[in-house]
Amino acid sequence: MNTEPFAAVFARALGADAGDLTEKAADGDFQDIFPLMPVGERVDMGSAPDGTPLIDPRIFFSAEFRRNPWPYYRLMRDHYPVYFNQLNNTYYVTRYDDMTECYFDDIGFNTIPKGSSNGVLGNVTHELSGVEHRRRRNLFGQHLVGKALENRVPAIERLAQEMIDDWASVDAPWCITNGNVRTIELGQAFADAFPVRVVCDVLGFPKEARGNFVYWYNSIMGGLGASETHKQGMEARQHLEDYVESIVEERRARPTFLYDNDGNKLGKDIISKLCESQVDGDFLSTEEITALIALVVAGGGETTRGTLMNMWYSLLQKTDQAEAALADESLWDAVFHETLRHSNPIGGQPRHATFDVQIHGMTVPAGSLIEMVNFSGSHDERIFADPDNFNIFRADLYTGKLLRSGFRKEGKCSHMAFGVGPHMCPGAWISHQEAVVGSKILSRTMKNPRINRDRMPKDIDGVSLAPIGINKTRELWLDYDLT
Amino acid sequence: MSTDEKQAVRPPSYGAGAPDKDAFTGRNGVPLYTRNGNQNDYRTYEVYQRERVKEATDKIRPIQLISPEFIKDPYPVLEILRENYPFYRDWLGNSFWVTRYDDVTSIFTDDANFETRPKRWFYGIEDLGRDLGQEVPVLTAQAARIDANVARIAAEIVDGFRANGGADLAIDFAARLPLELLACVLDLPKEDFPTFVDRYWRMQRGAMWEPKSRQAGLGAIQELVEYFRPILAARRARPGDDLLSAIAGLDLEDGPATAEDVVVTLLEQDHETLHGGIANMWLQLMTHPEQLDLVKRERRMVKFAWLETLRHSTPVVTANRFSRHEVERFGRLIPIGALLHCSAAAANRDPRQYKEPDRFIVGRKDLCQREPRGQYRADGLPAGLAFGLGKPTRHPAVPEDRPRSLYALCRDTATTASNVLLEALPDLRLKPGATPALRSLRLGEMHTCWHLPVVF
Repeated sequence: MNTEPFAAVFARALGADAGDLTEKAADGDFQDIFPLMPVGERVDMGSAPDGTPLIDPRIFFSAEFRRNPWPYYRLMRDHYPVYFNQLNNTYYVTRYDDMTECYFDDIGFNTIPKGSSNGVLGNVTHELSGVEHRRRRNLFGQHLVGKALENRVPAIERLAQEMIDDWASVDAPWCITNGNVRTIELGQAFADAFPVRVVCDVLGFPKEARGNFVYWYNSIMGGLGASETHKQGMEARQHLEDYVESIVEERRARPTFLYDNDGNKLGKDIISKLCESQVDGDFLSTEEITALIALVVAGGGETTRGTLMNMWYSLLQKTDQAEAALADESLWDAVFHETLRHSNPIGGQPRHATFDVQIHGMTVPAGSLIEMVNFSGSHDERIFADPDNFNIFRADLYTGKLLRSGFRKEGKCSHMAFGVGPHMCPGAWISHQEAVVGSKILSRTMKNPRINRDRMPKDIDGVSLAPIGINKTRELWLDYDLT
Repeated sequence: MSTDEKQAVRPPSYGAGAPDKDAFTGRNGVPLYTRNGNQNDYRTYEVYQRERVKEATDKIRPIQLISPEFIKDPYPVLEILRENYPFYRDWLGNSFWVTRYDDVTSIFTDDANFETRPKRWFYGIEDLGRDLGQEVPVLTAQAARIDANVARIAAEIVDGFRANGGADLAIDFAARLPLELLACVLDLPKEDFPTFVDRYWRMQRGAMWEPKSRQAGLGAIQELVEYFRPILAARRARPGDDLLSAIAGLDLEDGPATAEDVVVTLLEQDHETLHGGIANMWLQLMTHPEQLDLVKRERRMVKFAWLETLRHSTPVVTANRFSRHEVERFGRLIPIGALLHCSAAAANRDPRQYKEPDRFIVGRKDLCQREPRGQYRADGLPAGLAFGLGKPTRHPAVPEDRPRSLYALCRDTATTASNVLLEALPDLRLKPGATPALRSLRLGEMHTCWHLPVVF
């Protein structure tokens, strides 16, 4: 037998865990392992002998990552263009060019129904691929672009103006008037409800349904995936379906119409149109229409809310850019696109490998879940210079009309917030109108808007404002002058 | 936002004073929520599909499956899964959890639809070498050397701490015995033992999600390859009766065995379950004095204590399977490539199989009292799942052309060693005041007792 006591040999073999054999909590709290870092810096998770930094997959569960994700995404882009997170059994694609390629290959990287919405959205379009997807998407996508969209702009303007006019008379904690200065919480005063009202209006639902729509979209979004909120999501989905079903049956018999501000008929609303849509000579079923509507409700609410909040939050922190945008309304397009590049409300999209694929020398087995990290693609320094900086004047971001083909021309690229390719967000164009039109009207009303820093959540230093991170701005307190 | 919108954030069905319940009135004025409860209602295929996945799993949050509490004691969470969501979709971990005994074994035996990925896959070194662990000469050499040496090694280990009046059975006995045995099976020089243990453990622990351990493991694999290269050459020149000589002497189709093959073979068959099994058995015996008395009175009960340990506190909490293609199971469509966590720990405490499954009862009547392999059931009784989590063997229980299975070998090793311990230290008992417990060091690692202070 050996001279060295076995316990010592064994302790060495266990390494850092050797001192941890007693009864203390296993692994501790993630908060202890990943302390909050100053924005832009990251926790050192060790490195391989060749110097490659390592990624501890538990970081993705930490508060640090949620508020300060960019250094970690950069690490993935630089060292792990395809990163396998074994703890989540998920592959991440993080570079702009790789994501673009995958998004366009909707056969190799499919979206076939694996229940990624866990039944909450129903039989939805974004879980279809190829021809099947294209046919269904075009049926309702056509109502959200081009002339159909232009017809809706007056209604969007009217809804925004109505809400803002209400502030003068409202008595609520989120709207305080003190002399010539009014303080509002932009979320409660405007952004929470505005997108839902637009969705309701676009779909042609009566005003009374608005309150339920807020509930429906909150619950449906919260119920995605498995969680304690899933049940609520399923129930909300059922209520929505019951409600929509009765509406659809009515519209089949008596179509309803959209009107401009002068009361002139602009055409049938979406549901009435869908009721007469045909696929291969067959009318859409009520269930199919409901699934489309569930998608519009879920997709058209929270995302636009987050965009509006992030736009104003990011912009008002850059004094010179804010002054420029408030002086020149044509700059709001740039604000919209730069916000979606810098901090878009949707993190990424899942795809599944149809075959065994090789990406950057790594084999991804058939059936694997691959997350296209839109967050990271929009911050890819291979595409955008100084990507972590919010700058509406940047020269390398395409801010023109959004195209499903993406946009790469003359050194400009579109951001990744809506994805690209066949599955590019069908609501991109209407959400653009909502956010830009809404912001223009807000900027006309609010004189000299500024962030009320006293009421805002602070970063870890207790002074600067909390970063947006992968979340959306939850609350935004603004002061503005009435005259 | 107007007041009615603020209130309506609750749905009609939530509590008293709910807003416009009448808004949910369908055609013909029939309230829709009533109509939905009617099973005879016509449903389209799509609605049926959606309702089929309408399993609101609100009794559990997926983060619980990677929480510190789960690492320490997985049984409460696994019970929630087994009793409520027997085929649970873990959205956070992109996987499924199978927790009932019959379900788990149905996956294990279904080699046509579900595959095991070797540790090399997790390491990303599938091309490193060949796993020779199933070659008959290798199995023969291994079994012969274990059988010849286990009693002697166990006795030497016990003699090492006998004079101290106390010991930590988890480390000094359970952790040490399998490693000493392994070194003996490989016939390694005694002075190499500490470095071998170090490299071996690093290698075994590296095939996991934790990146630092993986780096350490990759380093250890390289070191072990370099270490075994000259030894393998020497054994090839002058063979003995050890495992390395058996590997060196193999007549393989694609060239003679290399040092890489040796390391891969070691990587793919671990010793940790033997270690964990022995530690857990002695923990249970030490904390259940009446069961210990039973075992002391009737030495044949040691084997039953071992089998009951594998059932009651298996060191292997879950085993992974990946679906080879799209396959329908448990009323769900499992996509190709899906990861299934088949939980041995949950299945072993399935009340559908065992009466009072949380109790440790040596010689319990509803547990198969034979080696847990083959069909997972024999004599009409289920066996504890611990290792041997694969398709049923096609070899007879006592094969003529090969040694008995590794699982039987493990059982005999544990029994023999434990008998040596009982023989040498008849008044073995838990150190007063000690509160030993089971836990994993890290998520996914073996669930075992790491400190078991005893006195004698």
